[in-house]
Amino acid sequence: MASNDLQFGGDSESEDDNFNPAPADLSDDETDGKRNARRSSPVDDDDGNDHEADGASKRSRKTVAAEEDGEGEEDEEIEEEDEEDGGEQADQDEDEDEEEDDEEDDIAGRPRRKRRRDNRAAFFDIEAEVDDEDEAEDEEKDGEEIEDFIDNDHPDDIAESGRLNDDRRHRELDRRREMEASLDAEKQAEILRERYGKRAPAKAYGDMTVVPKRLLLPSVEDPSIWAVRCKEGKEREVIFSIMRRVEERLGTKNELAITSAFERGGVTSVMKGYIYVEAQRQNDILIALDGVLNAYPRTKMILVEIKDMPDLLRVQETPMLEPGAWVRLKKPAKHAGDLAQVINIAQNGLEARVRFIPRLDYGVRDDPHSNLTADGKRKRPGMPGPRPPQRLFSEVEARKRHPRHIQGSGQSNSFVYMGEEFENGFQVKDIKIQQLDVKDVHPTLEEVTKFASNAEDGTESLDLKAIAASLNDSSNVAYVPGDIIEVYQGEQRGVIGKATNVQGDIVTLQVTEGALKGQTIEVPNKGLRKRFKVGDHVKVMGASRFRDEVGMVLKIVDDKVTLLADQTHAEITVFSKDLREADDIGGQGALGQYALLDLVELDPTTVGCIVKVDRESLVVLDQNGDTRQILPTQITNKLPRRKTAVAADRNGSEIRGEDVVKEYGGQQRQGKIIHIHRSFVFLHSNTMKENAGVFVTRANNVATIAAKGGRINNTTAGPDLNAMNPALKRNPAGANNMQAPKTTFGPDRAIHQTVKVKKGPYKGLLGIVKDATESHARVELHTKSKIVTVAKTDLLFVDKITGRPIDIYTRGGARGGYSGGGGGRGGFGGSNGGSNWPGGSRTPMASGGGERTPAWGSSKTTARTPAWSRGDVSGSRTPAWGDGSRTVNPYGDGSRTSYGGATAYGGLGSRTPAWSSGAKTPAPQDGFGHGSKTPAYGGAGSGGRTPAYGVSAPTPGASGSDAWGYTPGASASSYAFDAPTPGAGLAAPTPALNAPTPGASYAYSAPTPGASGPVSAPTPGASSSWQGGWGAAVDAPTPAAGAPTPAASGGGYYGAPTPAAFGGAPETPAASGPRYADDDDE
Amino acid sequence: MSENYVAPGQQRYLRACMVCSIVMTYARFRDEGCPNCEEFLRFAGQPDQIDSCTSQVFEGLISLANPAKSWVAKWQRLDGYVKGVYATKVSGQLPEEVRTMIEEEYRIQYIPRDGSATEAD
Repeated sequence: MASNDLQFGGDSESEDDNFNPAPADLSDDETDGKRNARRSSPVDDDDGNDHEADGASKRSRKTVAAEEDGEGEEDEEIEEEDEEDGGEQADQDEDEDEEEDDEEDDIAGRPRRKRRRDNRAAFFDIEAEVDDEDEAEDEEKDGEEIEDFIDNDHPDDIAESGRLNDDRRHRELDRRREMEASLDAEKQAEILRERYGKRAPAKAYGDMTVVPKRLLLPSVEDPSIWAVRCKEGKEREVIFSIMRRVEERLGTKNELAITSAFERGGVTSVMKGYIYVEAQRQNDILIALDGVLNAYPRTKMILVEIKDMPDLLRVQETPMLEPGAWVRLKKPAKHAGDLAQVINIAQNGLEARVRFIPRLDYGVRDDPHSNLTADGKRKRPGMPGPRPPQRLFSEVEARKRHPRHIQGSGQSNSFVYMGEEFENGFQVKDIKIQQLDVKDVHPTLEEVTKFASNAEDGTESLDLKAIAASLNDSSNVAYVPGDIIEVYQGEQRGVIGKATNVQGDIVTLQVTEGALKGQTIEVPNKGLRKRFKVGDHVKVMGASRFRDEVGMVLKIVDDKVTLLADQTHAEITVFSKDLREADDIGGQGALGQYALLDLVELDPTTVGCIVKVDRESLVVLDQNGDTRQILPTQITNKLPRRKTAVAADRNGSEIRGEDVVKEYGGQQRQGKIIHIHRSFVFLHSNTMKENAGVFVTRANNVATIAAKGGRINNTTAGPDLNAMNPALKRNPAGANNMQAPKTTFGPDRAIHQTVKVKKGPYKGLLGIVKDATESHARVELHTKSKIVTVAKTDLLFVDKITGRPIDIYTRGGARGGYSGGGGGRGGFGGSNGGSNWPGGSRTPMASGGGERTPAWGSSKTTARTPAWSRGDVSGSRTPAWGDGSRTVNPYGDGSRTSYGGATAYGGLGSRTPAWSSGAKTPAPQDGFGHGSKTPAYGGAGSGGRTPAYGVSAPTPGASGSDAWGYTPGASASSYAFDAPTPGAGLAAPTPALNAPTPGASYAYSAPTPGASGPVSAPTPGASSSWQGGWGAAVDAPTPAAGAPTPAASGGGYYGAPTPAAFGGAPETPAASGPRYADDDDE
Repeated sequence: MSENYVAPGQQRYLRACMVCSIVMTYARFRDEGCPNCEEFLRFAGQPDQIDSCTSQVFEGLISLANPAKSWVAKWQRLDGYVKGVYATKVSGQLPEEVRTMIEEEYRIQYIPRDGSATEAD
């Protein structure tokens, strides 16, 4: 029958309202029974009859189907009947109202069910009123189902029907009993079994649902709960131990008297370190826990107050993860700590699909022995190797090594590689919730941007909301007294007040608006939010990425507040919980090691000054005046503020940090120097707003306004160039240039010299210098095989053959040619031998003297002397040289002289460079320059220079008597070489290196003298200098050849004259020329 | 006798029934089923069912020695269940079809034990 179906349907749907299955069934039966009764009633509404029929049929069906019938409990039924009476009366009143319901009912059969349940519920007083309604419904339905009888239920009948119902039910009950009795015992038993069998579990649930928690609150009859200390972290074990003990002693005389024990441990729990034991008496607990590992019942046990007991078992819902939320991975060890984004959550809420940036090495670190460690042992699988950096998945790389392990296509951009899934470069994985860190994720902007910038459509999808969801735990908003707070949830909703006290989760509010004004109320902080007014000056606190921005409130929508940031003038929207009233002005000072106004290096050629520090990023103003936003990681280096940094402003004045300068052109901005970097100065001005008042300009574009510490700041007098000139520092003007030779290059000249000790315990002993420093020498004594250290001043350098004292420094030239020693001499000797010189050994000597002398002579007559006199008049020098030169003179011939000059050149060469390099090179600009004009020498010397050694010699040779002899002769050339060669011998390499320099300068400036001298001069000059330096025999001829030319042009007299001629004519250049010679000599 | 005891080493295999919150090892769920809910959840021999209807994420263990007398049991709506170890909170949610099945066929109102059903008390 229809009613049957209805009932079933109704039952199934009844879960909407909390229902108690068992009673519901019961009620079903009862209704049926009632209906039966009704039918039997004489007055009998038609619907009653109908229902009765339904009921009967249904019941039978039920028994067969073993539906969960409520067992009819007679007592209850009676009660129910009573109730129904009342109900029915009410029902009839409401008939009309419920007609629509009825229609629904017909379709869904819902009313039946409802009624039934309600009937059952009728047993409880509390639900009486509800029952009325339902009853009414029922009645109504009944009426409707059998249309004929609708009229009968008309309100008019109310009074009657109540009575009738009463009657009817009694009758129904009787009937049912009869019927049950009539069933055979077996069947009955089966029915009962069905009913009760189903019931057992259902009952528990029934209770659970039906009884509201407030009725379950503990009372004094309930056992007490004690908190017992236990070892932290061992709570679970203790609970299991107790369980074991309970079960072990179950049924023995030692049975434990405790009823339950529980723990609420957990790493973050405030209840850790305790277990809670429920028992009637404290002694039971002592017995139960005696000897349980990790539990300490003997320590002070705390009795939990009855009112606190429910709190012990309070369960807080874990915030559900939402797609888009940020989490951190715990589990794949390789990714521990990495940020991941939730894509979706498994249905049971225990697994989440997350995406994160893979850490792949694409097998780069794989090798055939990867299973073995270095010591040949098997790797432990748990041992993580170095973990590859986070990088988006690259198909190309994956295919490189593992082409077989990759599936998928670039089109969908999803791959399966080595068993892992990758989508759009991210790794996608299902991960158990417990392997995710959901709380306190705090994704940094940097991390998040990695995800955001890779949104599928390529747009930035920074979702404040998603981040907020991760960060947001509105319950842990800290309110402080003084906050204006609005209650937006709960009974007190709408109340606005000022916090006066905050204790734990309870905020005490002094109500400031509305009906409760003036009162003080306490509210849980759950439903609170801070309240601001438009125009308030607020500061962003919290974990928002706008943290520490300060601004003015523009708009408030719910708990979102839009404010205009003071610094950036940008509108930002944040949660009101993240705001505080602010009384300071924005901008935080530092991000990590980088603080506002720091100078940082962005790349090797770019520096910038930090002008804004955000929570995660920095804004820098680079040296080109561009601002850019960067992450701290993009900074190569922080440049410390250099106190000593100095620059020159456009007037040449010295400017330093903290000086106040003004731009010369442009906007004429004025500011204080905060950094000087190369030619750029970073200035700070308090009058500018942009870039935190920092601007950058070039040092030569500013003029000093005020120098720090009142440094003398004469803008008219340029900088003291003398102070800056390193050359002058080395050779202070007016100082004796003789100093110069002392600074030598290359190995100390004292080395290998034979010396005599003048002082000290070794006085008088001869030895050889093995090693030397500036002041001391280590001397190997001839007498004892011993090396002693002696101050150089205590040494007398002697000729190792003659034993005569020599001065290795002043006679450096000599040394070149002479002591030039082994090699030099040998060379000499050889060449000399080839030539007409008499004694090999002597020759050098002679030539040594001569060499030098002529060299001096030649250079001196023409150049040297003037050079010295010009460069700076050093009396000492001239004579010193003069000696040499004079010595030469006796030797006579210009040819010789010149020749000697050539040789000397070599000798000098070694020495000279020291000077020339020191003094001459820088000299170009000033008077010194003369000296530097060295090239002039070339000019003069085209004849002079090159020839000075090689060339001029032949020339004179030509003019000279015997010179001819060898000039043409091979010896001449060899000669020419020889000169350089010995020079080169020892000293050459060094000068050789220098040579190019003078050579260059010479060739370069040569043109000037070139006017007077042939253009060819430079060429030979250059070559000669080279040859000289290298002592390349072959090259010599060239200069030699070249030489004649100038010589010819010069007039073709002996060398000296030639230069002299030149010298005479181009006096000035000549002067320089000779000087050059000196240089050249080097 | 102490069938409900789980040695610490085994505790990582513990799972909690999402319906009655009893905590047992996976093996026991598989072998014996849930002592309270087996009738309709039918865990025994059905690993899939165990996976979907029990949870590894639970907290607050309760060792229930006397379900009838214990207030804790009453409060946790565990009275009527067997002795054993239960959890105060079981994370995870019953699959929709299981839930519907329980409520419609067995007329049991399912109360999630993950804290989401905290009613006004």
